Amino acid sequence: MLLRLRSTFVTALGLREASVAAMILIVAAYLTYASAYFPEPRNLLNIGRQASVVGIVALGQALVIIARGIDLSVGSIIGLSAVAGAIVARETGVQGLSVPVALVAGLLCGLFNGWLYTRLRINPFIATLGTLSIARGIALLLTGGIPVTLSGFANFLGAGRIVNIPVSLILMVMLAVIFHILATRTVRGRDIFAIGDNPKAAVLAGIDLRGTRLFVFVLSGLLAGLGGIILAGNLASADPNLGMGYELDVIAAVILGGTSLSGGRGSIPGVMLGAILMALLNNAFVLLGISAYWQVVTKGLVILLAVGLDSIRRDASETD
Amino acid sequence: MSILTASGIRKSFRGNTVLHGVSLTIDAGEIIGLLGENGAGKSTFMNVLSGTLSPDAGVIQIDGSNVQFASASDGLAAGIRFIRQELSLMPSLSVAENILLGSLPKRRGFVDYTALRRRAAEILAEIGASHIDVDAEVGGLRLGEQQLVEIARAVSQRPRILIMDEPTSSLTAHEVEQFFGFVRRIAAAGTAVIFITHRLSEALSLCDRLVVLRNGTLVAERHPDEATRESLIVDMTGRASLFNYERRDDVRSQEAALEVIGASDGEGLSDISFQVQKGEVFGLFGLVGAGRTELLEMICGLRRCARGQIRVSGADAQKDRRGHLRAGVSIVPEGRKIQGIFPQHSVRWNLSAGTLRRTAKAGFISPSSEVEAMTKYRTELGIRMQDPEQLVGTLSGGNQQKVLIGRALVNDPQILLLDEPTHGVDVGAKADIYRIVRAEAAHGRTIVVASSEIDEIRAVCDRVGILSKGRLVAVLNHDGMEETAMLTHAFSHH
Ligand SMILES: Nc1ncnc2c1ncn2[C@@H]1O[C@H](COP(=O)(O)OP(=O)(O)OP(=O)(O)O)[C@@H](O)[C@H]1O
Ligand SMILES: [Mg+2]
Repeated sequence: MLLRLRSTFVTALGLREASVAAMILIVAAYLTYASAYFPEPRNLLNIGRQASVVGIVALGQALVIIARGIDLSVGSIIGLSAVAGAIVARETGVQGLSVPVALVAGLLCGLFNGWLYTRLRINPFIATLGTLSIARGIALLLTGGIPVTLSGFANFLGAGRIVNIPVSLILMVMLAVIFHILATRTVRGRDIFAIGDNPKAAVLAGIDLRGTRLFVFVLSGLLAGLGGIILAGNLASADPNLGMGYELDVIAAVILGGTSLSGGRGSIPGVMLGAILMALLNNAFVLLGISAYWQVVTKGLVILLAVGLDSIRRDASETD
Repeated sequence: MSILTASGIRKSFRGNTVLHGVSLTIDAGEIIGLLGENGAGKSTFMNVLSGTLSPDAGVIQIDGSNVQFASASDGLAAGIRFIRQELSLMPSLSVAENILLGSLPKRRGFVDYTALRRRAAEILAEIGASHIDVDAEVGGLRLGEQQLVEIARAVSQRPRILIMDEPTSSLTAHEVEQFFGFVRRIAAAGTAVIFITHRLSEALSLCDRLVVLRNGTLVAERHPDEATRESLIVDMTGRASLFNYERRDDVRSQEAALEVIGASDGEGLSDISFQVQKGEVFGLFGLVGAGRTELLEMICGLRRCARGQIRVSGADAQKDRRGHLRAGVSIVPEGRKIQGIFPQHSVRWNLSAGTLRRTAKAGFISPSSEVEAMTKYRTELGIRMQDPEQLVGTLSGGNQQKVLIGRALVNDPQILLLDEPTHGVDVGAKADIYRIVRAEAAHGRTIVVASSEIDEIRAVCDRVGILSKGRLVAVLNHDGMEETAMLTHAFSHH
């Protein structure tokens, strides 16, 4: 009976998702006790907004990792697409152009990654490491290292609110729902899991290996572009160094959420929980006034803890 | 004198009991054949004996004293070597390195490559596999050779008990013979051998004692002299089920479904021409290395057709994109573990991977068709499992193969390519698969079966093409399928 109960709970959420959810609850409970400001709606919504960029970019990253790839370039794509959007808007004087230009820039970066991987057969780790450097370099070249101011629709995306709820948070939730459906209900979603689980078998089952790989990298680039313009819009300025190191937070959120780095396994709800946990930790350090350096250490520890628990559980179930 | 005694071994997985109190005594120098249907619990039982799994109940004694293995390395320390059904080689290391991994010969702290290669070559020669190059990369060997390397690794330190889970499933007749000679020699030297196989004739000719498992219970112990194929089948299945080829009147249409015209791949295959009619089962026979698998790969579009043409239902398939499965063609590859299954996913998921594209509406999966495919092939193929959500990796080997065949069929291809479709499949299921192949052909599906078993070719094929060193040397119809004739053709270019 207990077994039954456990297994239905596990299938509903997945054990890793459950353990991340539990961690979120523990951290939240502690913060409620330690800081009177924490449970205020203003603060909670703020956490939501902070989670949104990591969350949005992590959606694309999750699909890439499920397909047995990795995209290290998302942080640089954030910077490049924000800068591209802001410059075009400034030069043309049409502020509305910043968002579409940023999205196209992100998409092109993703396409470049996908091309390196599927056509030139460069390992995705190396390919996106190259793009990480190239995209950042272009962003610096375009701006000469000086931030470009930004206003208009990008501002609304990054800092706006609808009935008090941050627009970027709403966007993240909507995209999460769409991606969840993509991953679980569509043929394309199945293909992504299949090529991650066993690429050879996938080809023999008639799955378009190249097309699917290209697709996930393009999506990841596109979402990084969106993340970039949100981040820049929030600050009303596009810094060429924007998004530096973001790839770590994004990959951490994906892995925390139970996605297997060796491909074939993962879930969108898990990734969202992972992003929320990362934002919660950021908030905790600010509220508790702990040094930002500790924050860096703790993030690493949390990842090790979550992944470690998972592999201990797997070992146990294998010798069950 | 008994080396190992297991008594009352019980094992269950999440409430599903796989072994119901199994007992077995093993004597030194004895060769025991362990038989049973797919999913009977053979591999699980051996996992328990070798320490890979710990039993829920029961006692294992070695040399008269109780032992409790915590892991496979405890089993190894006690001299038990288990060669699994799935190979565990390092594909990018050389044959020699794989064989002696863990005990590489050293000189002044460095690996002594001369000694390594010599020692590996000795071991290979011992098991009758001296044709394998010790410097070759393991990943590039064909499956049967990999199997031999795995065996060589297991015997590199003379074990007291050697357990082999279907070691011969990909070996050629000649390799099997050589290998059996080796097994008899180590048995004579005192090693006890447990040999799992689905090939009853092998079990009958090699073993001193045959033990039959059915649904996790030991149902029979036989001396090979007093057992026959038929009696063993009854022991294993509880029924006498054998497939008989019934000659069909020519139900084939005269419509050519597959035409291969002067096809070469620029490597091994050269100038191959044949036609397969709609509704025909066409066999491909040949010795190892004859190019059966390569030819199937070329037909399904995964291998380049450098010269010549391949036409599917009259349409030239040349223009299809390379690296993509040709439309209307499905393949069940050889070596399911590496090429076939999606191990991290459920049976349902694996089965439907082929049909999704066909039944999807605007890119969305249709859950009802998934369930349909599931129920149809689960019963039709007799896939043994707890429930459709079970991970396919936890099914027994033969049942995984049935899932793959189900997946190819559910795709509803015009042309179905089967590469050694009954490797690791039990007799009952084998008959099921033959029946299904015939039934599908009768419904107008065109089927090409590559097989190294003459009996299998005779059981299901209307005609057979015989390959020798990459050339098609003969096409025989059913009356002409005689063992000597087939072998003579197969050897003609050697
Ligand atoms: N880790 C596992 N989790 C759940 N079920 C399992 C697991 N391992 C084995 N089983 C189940 O135990 C049963 C026996 O499996 P086993 O692999 O021992 O069969 P087998 O006799 O070796 O069959 P085959 O001839 O096909 O190799 C099967 O029904 C299988 O699904
Ligand atoms: Mg088995």
